[in-house]
Amino acid sequence: MHIFPYLIIAAPIIASAFYSLQPRAASIAAGIVDILLSMLIYFQLPFHNIFYVDFTSWIFLIMVSCIYLASTLYSLNYMKDIQARGISERTYYTLLNLFSASMFFTLLMNDYGFMWVGIEATTICSALLIIGEKNDVSLEAAWRYIILVSAGVAFAFISIILIFYNFHTLNVYDIIHSNPTDGLMGRIIVAIALIGFGTKTGVFPVHTWLPDAHSEAPAPVSAMFSGVLLPVALYVLYRIYQIDPFPLLYTWFAVVSIAVSSLFMAYQKNYKRMFAYSTMENMNMALLGFALGGVGVIGALILLITHSFAKSGAFFSSGNIMKSTGSKNMDQVSGLWKGMPWTSTSLVMSSMAATGAPPFGVFIGEFFILSMLAGRNIVQFSIVIFFVMTAFIGINYNVSSMVFRGSSDSREQGWLMAGTAIVCASISLLIGILFLGGYMNALV
Amino acid sequence: MLNGYVETLMMTLSQYFFVVLTAPLYSGIMTKLKAMIESRRGPSIFQPYMDIWKFMKKETLFPRGSGFIFRYGPYVIFGIYSLISLIVPILVPVPIFFTASADFLGGAILFSLAAFIKIASALESGSNFMSLGAARTASFIFLSEGTLITVFFAVSLITQTNNPYVTNNFLSANPVQGLTLEHIFATLAFFMLFFYETGKLPLESPGLAELGMIEEGMNYEYSGKLLAINKWSGHIKQYILGSILLNVFLFPWFLQSSFPNFLLDIPIMFLKWMLLILIVVIIETTMAKMRLFRILDYLATAFTFSILFLAFGVLLG
Amino acid sequence: MNALENIVFLSAALATVSGFYIQAQEYIRSMVRGQFVQAILIAATIFVLAFVESSIDLVVLGLLVLVLRGYLITELLERRIPGKGSDVKEKDIGIASHLLLDLVFIMIGTFIIYSLVFSRITFSIAGSIAGDTILVFPLALFFQGLFLIASRNSTFSQIIGYIEEENALVLFAIFLIPVPIIIEASVFLDVLALVVISSFVVLEKFTHNPMDELRG
Repeated sequence: MHIFPYLIIAAPIIASAFYSLQPRAASIAAGIVDILLSMLIYFQLPFHNIFYVDFTSWIFLIMVSCIYLASTLYSLNYMKDIQARGISERTYYTLLNLFSASMFFTLLMNDYGFMWVGIEATTICSALLIIGEKNDVSLEAAWRYIILVSAGVAFAFISIILIFYNFHTLNVYDIIHSNPTDGLMGRIIVAIALIGFGTKTGVFPVHTWLPDAHSEAPAPVSAMFSGVLLPVALYVLYRIYQIDPFPLLYTWFAVVSIAVSSLFMAYQKNYKRMFAYSTMENMNMALLGFALGGVGVIGALILLITHSFAKSGAFFSSGNIMKSTGSKNMDQVSGLWKGMPWTSTSLVMSSMAATGAPPFGVFIGEFFILSMLAGRNIVQFSIVIFFVMTAFIGINYNVSSMVFRGSSDSREQGWLMAGTAIVCASISLLIGILFLGGYMNALV
Repeated sequence: MLNGYVETLMMTLSQYFFVVLTAPLYSGIMTKLKAMIESRRGPSIFQPYMDIWKFMKKETLFPRGSGFIFRYGPYVIFGIYSLISLIVPILVPVPIFFTASADFLGGAILFSLAAFIKIASALESGSNFMSLGAARTASFIFLSEGTLITVFFAVSLITQTNNPYVTNNFLSANPVQGLTLEHIFATLAFFMLFFYETGKLPLESPGLAELGMIEEGMNYEYSGKLLAINKWSGHIKQYILGSILLNVFLFPWFLQSSFPNFLLDIPIMFLKWMLLILIVVIIETTMAKMRLFRILDYLATAFTFSILFLAFGVLLG
Repeated sequence: MNALENIVFLSAALATVSGFYIQAQEYIRSMVRGQFVQAILIAATIFVLAFVESSIDLVVLGLLVLVLRGYLITELLERRIPGKGSDVKEKDIGIASHLLLDLVFIMIGTFIIYSLVFSRITFSIAGSIAGDTILVFPLALFFQGLFLIASRNSTFSQIIGYIEEENALVLFAIFLIPVPIIIEASVFLDVLALVVISSFVVLEKFTHNPMDELRG
């Protein structure tokens, strides 16, 4: 009898029942409980009943619970003094809890149908979070998020129906381990899922909601979106991909998406938008890893977990900067180093981490994926390496000019917000160093 | 052999003269019935004949600057409709002389040719009102002719042939349950088209009100004999389209094809037409006229139906 | 083709036609009612199939469609129409061009899917319907939903486009293989919740146009 999965899903839901009492304290408690439970579930791996948890989903569980707690902590100060609220503070915490619960639900269920339901539920719970800071633009961004993502995910339901038609079951474990034979049907399922769930993951032609939602949502919500929501959608995509791996299609979509996101990144004026495109690039890198299989999967997992901390750090830092300067435009932000040393540190660290500078974990992940790709397809390899470098230079140039150039009268916005940002950024460094250390030990 | 030749000749002659001579009658009955429903006395059912007779006797005038297409167009149009009346099963359900000259698609293209000549002659008149009518017709015709052709394609797909007679036989041999989906929707599209092509009410009100006239506008400068021929052509066109609607789409049953029995087709067709007239009059008296620009939407709907179910017919087939 | 099969084909075809009806409406209320008719048609299809297969699950599914799609969503949407309700409409809609573009869009979409998939795989259809071509109708309806979202800029039209897509999926699922009723019910609840969420946006923002801040 495995009780932990139930508890993991239940904790945030119980916390959201504290709507009128202590929503903040309850959310933090639920976050801590979820981290502990996710850690504990490691000792039962792997198991499958109505839940299916193996090492891969465990990594995702850790990611979601950690970023959930970090975002809740960051929200305490960030959401306190917002002038134009779209939703009340209590509603905000309730939705944040339900949002996390729906992500846990998606990760844990051993049923493709319920995974789809979970992904749709994440859209429902998170849509109103985008209008935490309400204005015309954030309303429009929220609407694009709702309609584009749900239209895309609806398309993915066709692949769920086809899975059920083909296997007469929706059980993830059984289907993956049954070594399906029907080539064309499997490919159709996998291809439809790529377009459907790819909408939520940020695959090129259907990614358009992504920069809008990330740039207009409040910073902790952007961190949740970028750090864990997109990976959760990627997880579902990966589970469907395992039915009948179709690397040709997936790698090309991923490579084109990486190229497009790097190109868009280059001329962004809004720093949150720039980070959103960076998220898109990283997600497609992870998709590339999953599509290649083997070492690529390990690379993708390292990349995802590091990226979730790094990108949360980046968005938290962006939130600090926005609170302090009141602008999302890079040209109006300068000389952060003088007034906001902690935020500057975390911003530089997390942007280095997100773009894959060594020794951060993303670098290790990208290294695994690219070394795998180099052996497979040299054309794709050269495209990816070129655009990854473009993105690296673009983001780090912009960030360093925000931080080091000129001067300003910006100030830190309290220890909690700066602290959360820097802790997240440090964890991404820590993962890289620990992994490298372990890897070296194993080599020796 | 000779016997068969004579039979076909008789069938051809009776079909041709039946169509050309009785076509105005149906317009008259329609007008009368409509008037009765609106509790008026209305004109006699032979009024269209009297109109044609009256115009025939009057002097024919040509506007200054009109060209030769304006002068000879009406004769050509009358000829085209006469030819069409010989190639579609509108009275006798077996092939007759001239039937082989064109198939369904050919019939549709002949309709387009008539419409084209009518527009060309309207432009030659040098009159603003006729140009108005021509412009309106031209801006609607791309949808109406498209519908006409696709509808004919749809029926040929159902029966795997382009021959309207085979289609008619196939349909009358099949009971109602055998109707396919594309047939139902092609019928709907053709029914909508019939209303447009014959200038019926939700689309065009009869008479010479400039505001809403389309087809009528192109008769504006005609007078005397030419006007009579144009009116007559209009009646024949209505009869041909209505009979195709009845015999190929709506109600293909009961036609007799053996030699002496084919004369029974005349009363049968008359009764079928009464049914159609009833439907038309009910719709005409219950609906208000659409705005002119709405006609495009109306035709687009008909076109959508026809082409969608043509495509589905290919896929479902 | 027997009579019941004919009815299934006809109601599926009419559901597709109702998509065109919705596409051609300017008034929000007519669009909402078009969605209502579509839900009824789909429920009718489900009931006929339930009769053919004598399946209780399908009856439950039909009832769910009637209650959730037919009644609740229609009611929710109609209540949210601002102002007097009956006279709220979208501006500048060329019906003829919309219909024709819609036609082109779904034809291209359906033909591509048909040539890629249906020409190679033969699906077996529920209710012992011969051939798999009836799947053309849900596919066409799905593409209509997408086109409605893409071609209109009011919140209502886009919600209705999304519901149309979901209707198409229900139709697709019952023709191919009825998904377990518990999952289908969760999907319905998801859609309902999404409509509730969207109706918040309706109150704040009625139309959606490109914005400078959200470009690139």
